[in-house]
Amino acid sequence: MSKISRRTFTGIVATSVATISMPSISLGALPRVVVIGGGAGGATAARYIAKDSKGGVHVTLVEASKRYYTCFFSNLYLGGFRNYGSIGHNYYGLAVNRGVNVVHEWAVSVDSAAKKVTLGSGNSISYDKLVISPGIDLKYDTINGYSAEAQTHMPHAWKSGTQVQLLRNQVMNMKQGGTFVMVPPPNPYRCPPGPYERVSMIAHQFKKSNPTAKIVVLDPKNKFSKQGLFMEGWQRHYPGMIEWIDADTHGGIKNVNVSKMEFETDLDTFKADAACVVPAQKAGAIAMAAGVNNGDWCPIVPASMQSQADENIYVLGDASVAKSMPKSGFSANSQAKVAANHIRGTLTGSKVFDARYSNTCWSLVATNDGIKVGASYAAGSEAIDVTSKFVSKTGEDSALRKATYEESIGWYEGITTDMFS
Amino acid sequence: MKIFLFVILFLTSFCKFVFAEEQKIIAMGDIEFGEYLSAECAACHHQAGISKGIPAINGMDAEVFVALMLAYRSKEMENPIMQMIAGRLDDEQIGSLALYFSILEPPK
Repeated sequence: MSKISRRTFTGIVATSVATISMPSISLGALPRVVVIGGGAGGATAARYIAKDSKGGVHVTLVEASKRYYTCFFSNLYLGGFRNYGSIGHNYYGLAVNRGVNVVHEWAVSVDSAAKKVTLGSGNSISYDKLVISPGIDLKYDTINGYSAEAQTHMPHAWKSGTQVQLLRNQVMNMKQGGTFVMVPPPNPYRCPPGPYERVSMIAHQFKKSNPTAKIVVLDPKNKFSKQGLFMEGWQRHYPGMIEWIDADTHGGIKNVNVSKMEFETDLDTFKADAACVVPAQKAGAIAMAAGVNNGDWCPIVPASMQSQADENIYVLGDASVAKSMPKSGFSANSQAKVAANHIRGTLTGSKVFDARYSNTCWSLVATNDGIKVGASYAAGSEAIDVTSKFVSKTGEDSALRKATYEESIGWYEGITTDMFS
Repeated sequence: MKIFLFVILFLTSFCKFVFAEEQKIIAMGDIEFGEYLSAECAACHHQAGISKGIPAINGMDAEVFVALMLAYRSKEMENPIMQMIAGRLDDEQIGSLALYFSILEPPK
């Protein structure tokens, strides 16, 4: 008992008082929240609702994977800066420390009238409030010739896990002096600077193990996030290795020939020895099954992250239409806290504070060369609006870039603790 | 920046009277509000108080906390993220956060 903190002690007292003063409340009568998806949005929402309600809300997290590999920092694994195990996390903390009921299954449908989620096993779970945070699905057929089958030859590696390990293996085994083709996705997509950090990290690996290799980026866009910073870094660290070709120049990818590893464009046909193809994206399938989407994404109420289609459903992270907020793990984590506060207030009468959102995306260009972009946001009547923003500058000194990289490592430890502990 | 931090730490340790402004802000604070606001900090500052690339703030003296946030808000301290975060916190919010973090267990 001597180790008990003041905060824990307050929590225990508060819980005891609540139990004594409300004897009629049994476990079965607790309000129920179901969270679908155990990533940056879902895990954070489950954790905050359980933690802050101190047993007053029954929280179930439905997540098929027993181990979650973060998309953020997977590029650092591709560059040889992290081992893969270091970006894997389990749900022990949520289940044991926070009392979240963790169910390792797929959620396959939502009956919003009966307020029930049906699982892959056929069982169903009832909810009072539902959080849908499924991340993205890929629109394979938006690239002619690319498919779910093709992803083994040309990994997208845009959902973390085996695909990322496969891509690393193909980078490491590419023939000396070969050509790597990177196809970034069109807007909007998960992690705007991600494709360009990926190019940087693969270049970093090639510089060590395959110094005459080339990287060709066939971009469906004419500009990209932190473009000036990345291009300055590519010139400085990997001169002559990376060729970025914008959409106007190559005229679009007309066809991908997976067996020949060729990319046909108006400009030329590019032959690859290894490739990464990231197609266009849409909200995860369960969001569509729940009917909270409008087209590929799910519109939300800016003050609460509630679905515009159903006030009992909240949509977080990549799947939502957060307008100026990018689709990032940081954004999802930030949105989850707003939703958790709103859900708890609605179910238990706790105070609902004004929504505050923020995001920062760090990227690594080379060893100790970190850059960042970020913004803070507030709920407007129509959308989540930017209140202020910043971005790293070109020409920054190496000490600042090193500090930015070290800051990103601290952030990784911080946010994964904020999601899973 | 380190000198600035040192001066703040020195003054808060030995010269409480210098920090009348900080004490006024702390007096406006509310711990429950601070706990809600702290969720934004927790995205980066490790909740077990581990300092690796980003400093631990658990258990930080409330006056030091306020002095630092005021310095970020006025852009005397560098770091664009902290300038942005502090830039939209009013005195009551800074006081609430200072109170909340001051009662947490400091890093070992």
